[in-house]
Amino acid sequence: MLLTKTLASTTFRQALIAIGVFGVIASAILSYVYLSTSSYVRSRSDRAIMTEYSSLQDAYQRSGRGGLIALIQQRIADKRFSDYVYIFADSSSAALGGNLKAWPSTVTTTRGWTEFRASEPLPNATNRALLRAMLGTFPSGDRLLVGMDISDLDGFTDRIKTAVISCVALIFVVAGVASILVTRRTVGRIESINATSRAIMLSGLDKRIPLRGSNDEWDRVAENLNLMLDRIETLMGEVKQVSDNVAHDLRTPLTRMRGRLEKAYHGQRIGEDDQLLIGDTIADLDAVLRIFSSITRIAQIETQARKDAFRTVNLVEIASEVVELYDAAAEQDGTRLTVVGDREVLVTGDRDLIFDAIANLVDNAIKHGRAGGQVVVANEIVEGRPVVSIADDGPGIPADEYEHVFKRFYRLEHSRYTPGNGLGLSLVAAVARLHGARIEMLDNSPGLKVKFWFLASTS
Amino acid sequence: MTGGHRRILVVEDDPETAGQVVESLTTGGYQVDLATTGNEALSRGIATDYAVITIDRMLPDIDGIAVMRQLRDDGIAAPVLIISALGEVDDRVRGLRAGGDDYLVKPFSFVELLARVEALGRRSDTVVKETILRVGDLAIDLVSRTASRRGKDISLLPREFQLLEYLVRNEGRIVSRAMLLQHVWDLHFDPSTNIIDVYVGRVRRKVDGQQAYPLIHTVRGIGYSLRAPD
Repeated sequence: MLLTKTLASTTFRQALIAIGVFGVIASAILSYVYLSTSSYVRSRSDRAIMTEYSSLQDAYQRSGRGGLIALIQQRIADKRFSDYVYIFADSSSAALGGNLKAWPSTVTTTRGWTEFRASEPLPNATNRALLRAMLGTFPSGDRLLVGMDISDLDGFTDRIKTAVISCVALIFVVAGVASILVTRRTVGRIESINATSRAIMLSGLDKRIPLRGSNDEWDRVAENLNLMLDRIETLMGEVKQVSDNVAHDLRTPLTRMRGRLEKAYHGQRIGEDDQLLIGDTIADLDAVLRIFSSITRIAQIETQARKDAFRTVNLVEIASEVVELYDAAAEQDGTRLTVVGDREVLVTGDRDLIFDAIANLVDNAIKHGRAGGQVVVANEIVEGRPVVSIADDGPGIPADEYEHVFKRFYRLEHSRYTPGNGLGLSLVAAVARLHGARIEMLDNSPGLKVKFWFLASTS
Repeated sequence: MTGGHRRILVVEDDPETAGQVVESLTTGGYQVDLATTGNEALSRGIATDYAVITIDRMLPDIDGIAVMRQLRDDGIAAPVLIISALGEVDDRVRGLRAGGDDYLVKPFSFVELLARVEALGRRSDTVVKETILRVGDLAIDLVSRTASRRGKDISLLPREFQLLEYLVRNEGRIVSRAMLLQHVWDLHFDPSTNIIDVYVGRVRRKVDGQQAYPLIHTVRGIGYSLRAPD
């Protein structure tokens, strides 16, 4: 899980790019070291061969075949020249002298540099040595080859080559492992910040990102985020305080007005018209007061305090009670209201709030559904999660309105004149948030289906 | 209980609300004493035997619930109605109903207040042990959970029977919609629709349909009352 996230992270990808660039540069430097070393080693042996060839050539020019053969004999006997190989042949490649038995068959050029493998082991080497040689043809057609066993040199450059390659490989492996470890640490810290963010979205602003006490930049990021959360929490508290105060301050005079009106309404001195007027005013006041009650109630739910009152409750029981309560209302609209699904679906939550949420959704389904249609409340467990869905077969709502309908006071254009204050679904959303539940809206074709996904029960 | 049956103590610090409460309870036939602080409430509550005590949750000195606790500790058994703003309704307030007390959320109508006080005051009376309750020609059997008028059975769903039973038990008194929700559905909020009216409407059709006289009466703006004609 963490490894997958590590490999997918931007940090890791950037580390890979850095490793690539660094690796190419390192390879270039090491290749240069290898090439210059091997060419230096080769040029040294080439100079020695060249010098030897020149002195033999001089001997041939000074004293002819005999002189050269004598010199070659002398050289072969001399220990200081034991590294050299010689062959002197006539134009038909028949050997006239030297420590090679025959003119090497693989050498086809007539002059210049050549490299070949000896056809038999040399006297002072066990296997067939690799030879580098200078050869030339004299005007008489005689040919001379002076060479040196470069097997040792080759072994040396090979070893450098191996060292260089392993060095580059090691750089890649170590850098790769190091970047995985570093990225993993980074991703781990980011994950802990992410987890806290999710917890905050799910259950409120009281969570904080844990510090490691390492006093590094991650701790400082966490510290600052925590400070920011403190600030947001304070501001939220202040906003809530302000709106509570507004609701409270308005409610008090409204309550008094309502009281006076009620007194007047029940009083005997007034006429029929006055009573009707006062009755209507009381009803209007009640509507205003109810809006305040709803706002306060939603705010109260959102403070999360009610989580303490969570119990294990049976969703089916609650849904059935809602259906029972709304049965009469559905009957009045000619709507068929039914409960289907499992007989027991347990959730952890607040019974009153869940009742209220389902009641609001059922109320909407009956109000906005088709007259004479049907509303189905289904309880089930899907993928281990308790789900209650409320479906109608009415006109439904456009998909692009789905996310808006949960906003406070939001009302669809065509429902502006039906009863309600646009707070019902906000309350449903608040209840969902409190329970960590997800609301899904689907096209029931025709109609609307609202699915309320609870968290999988932990008990 | 010595002469305390129609005597009520109102604990409320807002003068205008207090005045309105006192006036409506007086109109309802109660003798009302007013206390404006928690301490005053404690001294009055101990000195006099009240039928019901109403206490505002937010008092200048002591929390309403603390006042109630103190009264209980002093051996005062009178039922208490806590009056609370919605934001103050917490588990402690909700727990009141379990202890035989009640709460009312501001803003409330005075008819609702009167109905609650009546219901609480009745609790001090002797509990009726009968298994069949009668109002006019309506009889409901609490054991078999059946209802009939003039001997003719009325077919009711269990919840409808519960609703009728609650109305019958409060015969002649006003029962508010919120009280019905609380006692019949155990719901502590107002679903803010006319859902209760529709539900009562159905029960009423079953109970009063094609009968000599209606039993269930609507009380405009507050709720219902079940009574036989005089």
